[in-house]
Amino acid sequence: MGNSITFGPLQMSAVHEMANIGLGHATTALSELTGHSFNMSIPSVDSVPVNTISALVGGEETVCVGVFMPIEGDVEGHIAFLFPWGSAQRIWTLLIGSAPAEVSAVGELEASAMLEVGNILNSSFLNALSDMTGLALHATPPMVSVEMASAIAQSIVAEAEQREVVALAIETAIFDEAEATRGYFLCIPTLAGLQLLFERLGIAEAA
Amino acid sequence: MAITTASSTQFLVGMSEIHVAKGPAIFTCLGLGSCIGLAALDVTTDVAGMIHIMLPEAFPDKPVDKLGKFADTGIKEWLRLLERAGAQTSRMKIAYAGGAQVFKFGANADSRLDVGARNATAVAEHLKRLGLRALAIDVGGSSGRTVTLDTVTGLMRVRTVAAGEKELVNLRK
Repeated sequence: MGNSITFGPLQMSAVHEMANIGLGHATTALSELTGHSFNMSIPSVDSVPVNTISALVGGEETVCVGVFMPIEGDVEGHIAFLFPWGSAQRIWTLLIGSAPAEVSAVGELEASAMLEVGNILNSSFLNALSDMTGLALHATPPMVSVEMASAIAQSIVAEAEQREVVALAIETAIFDEAEATRGYFLCIPTLAGLQLLFERLGIAEAA
Repeated sequence: MAITTASSTQFLVGMSEIHVAKGPAIFTCLGLGSCIGLAALDVTTDVAGMIHIMLPEAFPDKPVDKLGKFADTGIKEWLRLLERAGAQTSRMKIAYAGGAQVFKFGANADSRLDVGARNATAVAEHLKRLGLRALAIDVGGSSGRTVTLDTVTGLMRVRTVAAGEKELVNLRK
C-alpha cells in the first residue's frame, strides 16, 4: 500500500517546488511574527516520516513542542511544526518575553502563543499552495503537544493513516541565522489530495 | 532492529513491528503517542514478544501492508509468532501501555483525536476474544510513553516526560 506508491521525477520536483514556495512563505511569516530572521533548508520527501523527523530533532525521546492541524478543503492532509524544547523556549521569549523552565510549567499562555505560531506558519504555507493551484486548502484549528518527538510524530501519522492513503511526507527544517532556534515542518497530504495538486499543475500523468 | 550484546538481545520495536525472541532480550517501543506497546512473556520457555500497534483495525477496503499496524490483524500475528517460538497462551503474562492523546492544548483537541482511546479499546477487546488477560495496563492520558520489557528481570517499565521511569509490572511474578 503506502510504501509501494511511487511518483515520477516530474511529480517529485513539483512536490519539492510546492514545499519550497509554501515554506518560504511560512518562514517569512515566522520572521515577521518574532522579529527574528529565519531561513529554511531544502525540503526532503520521505515515505517513512516519523523515523526521519525523530532523527532530525535529535532522537525519538527528545522533548518537542508540536503544533498540529488537519487540512480540509479540496486537498486534505495533515500538517505540523515541531520545535525542540530549547528552540520553543527561544520562540516563547521572543513572543511573550519569557519561557517556562520546565515542561510541566507550560500553561495556557504558552500554549496559545504556540497555537498562534502554528496558525501563522501553517496558514501561510496553505495560502501559498492555494495561490499556486487555485485549490482550496483550509487550515483547521491547531492543537499543541509538549512531548517526546516520536509520540507527537507517531500520533500525527496514525491520524493521517486512519483517514486516508498516505503516499509521502514532506519534511523541512527552518532555522535562524545562528541555527540556535530550529523548527521542523511535517506535511502529510492524502494521496487523493496530492493527485489533485498534480492535476492542477498539469503533471498528473506519471513521468 | 536487533542488537545482540553479551547479555541480552535488544529489540527496538518500531511502528507496526512485531518482535519475538527466545532467551534474554530487551524490547523497547520508543515514544508511544496514540500507539500501543503490547508485550508478553512465557517464563517456562523464556519466550517473549512485543508489538507496536498503530491503529485499531484494518480497513476492509484496503490491503493490509503490515499485519502489526492494526490491533485486529496484529495481535493474532503476535500470538502466532509467540506460539511458534514456544510460548503457551495459558502461561503467558501480558501487559500493555500507550494509547495517549498527546495534543492536550487547542479548541479541537479532545473532540477530534481519539485514535489512542480507540486503540486501547481494540487491544482490550482482541485480547479478551483470544482468551488472554493483561496483568497491567497503562493507557490513556496525554503523556507519551517509552515502554521497555527486560525478559531477564521480567520488568516492564514505562518512561514519560512528566514522571520519568516507573515500573509497570513484573511479568516474572
